[in-house]
Amino acid sequence: MTDLSAQPRPARSPWETPNPSRAFKVAAASTIPAGITTVLTLVFGIDPAVSVLLIFVPLQVIFAIAVGRNVAGKKGQGDAVLMFTSVFFTVLVAVLLTSLLWSIISQGFSAMSWHFLYQNNVYIDPTTSLEYGGVGHAIVGTVLIVGLTTLVTVPLGILIAVYLIETRDKSRSTVRTLVQAMSGLPSVVSGLFVYSMLIVSGVTTYAGWAGSLALLPLMLPTVARTAEEALRLVPVEIRNGALALGSPAFRAFWQVTLPAARSGIITAIILGIARIIGETAPLLLTTFAAKNTNFNVFGGPISSLPTYLYQYVSNGYDTSTQRAWGAALVILLLVAILFTATRIIAGDRKRPKKKA
Amino acid sequence: MSTRITGTSHLKSENVNVWFGERHVLKDVNITFPANQVTALIGPSGCGKSTFLRTLNRMHELIPGAGFAGKILLDGTDIYDPQMDPVNVRLNIGMVFQKPNPFPTMSIKDNVLSGLRLSGRKTDDASGLLESSLRRASIWNEVKDRLGDAALSLSGGQQQRLCIARALAMNPEVLLMDEPCSALDPGSTRRIEETIVELSESMTIVIVTHNMQQAQRVADETAFFLAEDGNPGGVVEFGNTEDVFNRPVDGRTNDYVNGHFG
Amino acid sequence: MSTSSEPTSHSPVRRTLKAKPFSRADRMFFGVARSASYFSVILIALILVFLFIRATPAFQSQGIGFIFGSNWNTSNPHHIVMQIGPMIWGSLLISVLGIILGVPMALSTAYFIEFMAGKTMARVATLVVDLLAAMPSVVIGLWGLVVFTPVASHWAELLHKALGFIPIFANTSGNFSASPFIAGWIVAVMIVPIITSISREIFSQMDRELINASLALGGSRSSTFFKVVLPTASGGVVGGVLLGLGRALGETVAIYFVLNLIFKVNWFNIIENQGGSVASMILSKFGEASDAEISGLMAAGLVLFVVTLVVNWIAAYIVNKAQPWRKL
Repeated sequence: MTDLSAQPRPARSPWETPNPSRAFKVAAASTIPAGITTVLTLVFGIDPAVSVLLIFVPLQVIFAIAVGRNVAGKKGQGDAVLMFTSVFFTVLVAVLLTSLLWSIISQGFSAMSWHFLYQNNVYIDPTTSLEYGGVGHAIVGTVLIVGLTTLVTVPLGILIAVYLIETRDKSRSTVRTLVQAMSGLPSVVSGLFVYSMLIVSGVTTYAGWAGSLALLPLMLPTVARTAEEALRLVPVEIRNGALALGSPAFRAFWQVTLPAARSGIITAIILGIARIIGETAPLLLTTFAAKNTNFNVFGGPISSLPTYLYQYVSNGYDTSTQRAWGAALVILLLVAILFTATRIIAGDRKRPKKKA
Repeated sequence: MSTRITGTSHLKSENVNVWFGERHVLKDVNITFPANQVTALIGPSGCGKSTFLRTLNRMHELIPGAGFAGKILLDGTDIYDPQMDPVNVRLNIGMVFQKPNPFPTMSIKDNVLSGLRLSGRKTDDASGLLESSLRRASIWNEVKDRLGDAALSLSGGQQQRLCIARALAMNPEVLLMDEPCSALDPGSTRRIEETIVELSESMTIVIVTHNMQQAQRVADETAFFLAEDGNPGGVVEFGNTEDVFNRPVDGRTNDYVNGHFG
Repeated sequence: MSTSSEPTSHSPVRRTLKAKPFSRADRMFFGVARSASYFSVILIALILVFLFIRATPAFQSQGIGFIFGSNWNTSNPHHIVMQIGPMIWGSLLISVLGIILGVPMALSTAYFIEFMAGKTMARVATLVVDLLAAMPSVVIGLWGLVVFTPVASHWAELLHKALGFIPIFANTSGNFSASPFIAGWIVAVMIVPIITSISREIFSQMDRELINASLALGGSRSSTFFKVVLPTASGGVVGGVLLGLGRALGETVAIYFVLNLIFKVNWFNIIENQGGSVASMILSKFGEASDAEISGLMAAGLVLFVVTLVVNWIAAYIVNKAQPWRKL
């Protein structure tokens, strides 16, 4: 008995005719131009930037068109060029971003040591050897300043989200628009505002809390918007279930809606912290920088990682630049930790519920 | 567990009209719900029966643009009186929704007792209340060994009975049920129907259902709702379930219960 | 016992139900939420009003020249000149350069991730791009100053040698560092992750049916990309670009590291060792500023804020219109 319908069907699409030499041609087209360019560059000692632009790119385009045409006709020609363009720019991005990450990691590590993480800079000059001093005071400052901002901004942001989601006030759209406008406030302008209002006018000297105040309008829109999205995702049935049990709105929010939105709210907090942790300009205008460890956000200049980095870049000596790289690595690590945390929480959230 | 033995009705709607924005969806609904009996609200989709149910414990007003006229009397008091706190209304008139909605962050136990915490009440005998509520919702035997588990670990039918237990823990006078079995399998549906019949000994139950066999199985009284050609919905016929299904007075009721439309 | 409906003749009195909080606790809860919202509204209004009040003396004394002139001289207290034309132009120039350089890179990367890369590679690339979108700009500025400037100066020099006869690549100083060209690259590095991330998301949300239909009808990948993918995604992409522009305009420290701020308009000599940026200028001047000068800086900040606001609003409008699921 023969059952025709059981015959295996060809896996390929009809227009993609199997061509054994296709893979070979594509491979050749993607390696030969690079090979020729490398050889010419080395033999004639051409500047790499020139050879990439003037030898590699034209050569690769010609090869791409030729092979694309050979393999898939006229249609293949445009596809090959698109593919090359896309890969070329992607590689450029990859090179730039890898260079950025690698510089921070390698240069940062050469400045890194245990004492770099906890010592302060009281006896440090721009040229002092890296055996002494560190960013301990800047870490303390960043934690205090960002912590104070977070302490004020998070409840404020969540309450704004509550207002936008749980009430039916007419002014909600105005609030939403203006909070969004706040996210357009350039950070240096926020710093300038606090500098002019509090420091020039003599209300306070440079101080951590002034820095926190300058960071507040930068963090608030991120927290409010993300928290709003998180509350919006809580199903209305859950909320109504609580109200139908005879719960006042605030208890329904506190015991049911907020716990259900927990991961989204935590994400909002982390994104807010990530938004401000590397802000430099507002702090330069409001907290200045200090060499000693200052545990008091309400008294006197206080250092932070970004202002430390700025200060040591500005000094211009090799060892001070090394210190700046060290601070950059610490900032990168902090950002990476926050980033990983959001990923883990977001993954938690996306995981399907056991039962619908 | 208190058992009320009352022969008189204590929930009653008088000339209830409902709007969504400018749209008039219900007109002049007058129903007196007999105490300690099950009343079924039936009718085709969009006839306003679920909307009417939601007016009975003031859940309707949570929808923006909700309009209302008329009276809902609970033991003679209008629950729409401006001096009436909707929270108190909902404490006396519980509700079970179409889709099971246990609180996702709470355990089975916490879900049952959530009404107490949410309304700021205390009880001396939490474990007694927990057990009696779960027993009345006929789910005690299935969950008694896993009370600390997440509510979402239960099956759909169990979740719905958990939601019933959650409502029962507040010991309401009236229990409203909005198509409580529509998302469930036949086995779970049967168990919930049995629960409804048992519960009606101690409370007044109003149930919206699409399923006419279900109405005949559980309801003492049945109200048939209909909205014709863009007119607001209303009650076409209300009476003893057997009469409504077997000896309908109105031709439209006859058509509907015999499956001619809807 | 049971009565059926008895329609009454009188017309019912309709009430709109508001679901107002009834208990004191609820009224307090919503009151606090409302106050927090009003506080944020007041805060933003306060910033604007304060900036405006403090900026007024500068606007009054400088007139229209504040925006269009190109001289900053505060050494003579009786004749202070503050004109930020070169800074405004400089901010726009480096932002536009950043976009010209960044958009092809971002679109290509998004296309690569979404349509060419394998699953693992796409995941890793997405992760790295998103991480870099969260990278503080001061770190990018450090890299730009120490690592990238020597390389880019070299590129600029080559460009000058080959194409110096074109005015854009003219350079009279012989110094190829700290130019708008380099600042533009730094802006590009900052906005590429943002634009890539938004474009990639749009590509991934696109209707695959549409793409497959175009391919099945015999369209090539390239024509499908240019005729189907790009037009469909253009709204979101443009919005993302404007969002990046808003960020570029406000960038302060990174630009300050890599650009030589000169109060003379550099119209288009992008590899010349001079440029401008409003935000960086504020940072460079606030330290020794007198009261009158602070007023000038406030005015500059106000101008920058207003421009950024306009750009952000246009971006939000375009993105919301193009992809309603992504709220800005």
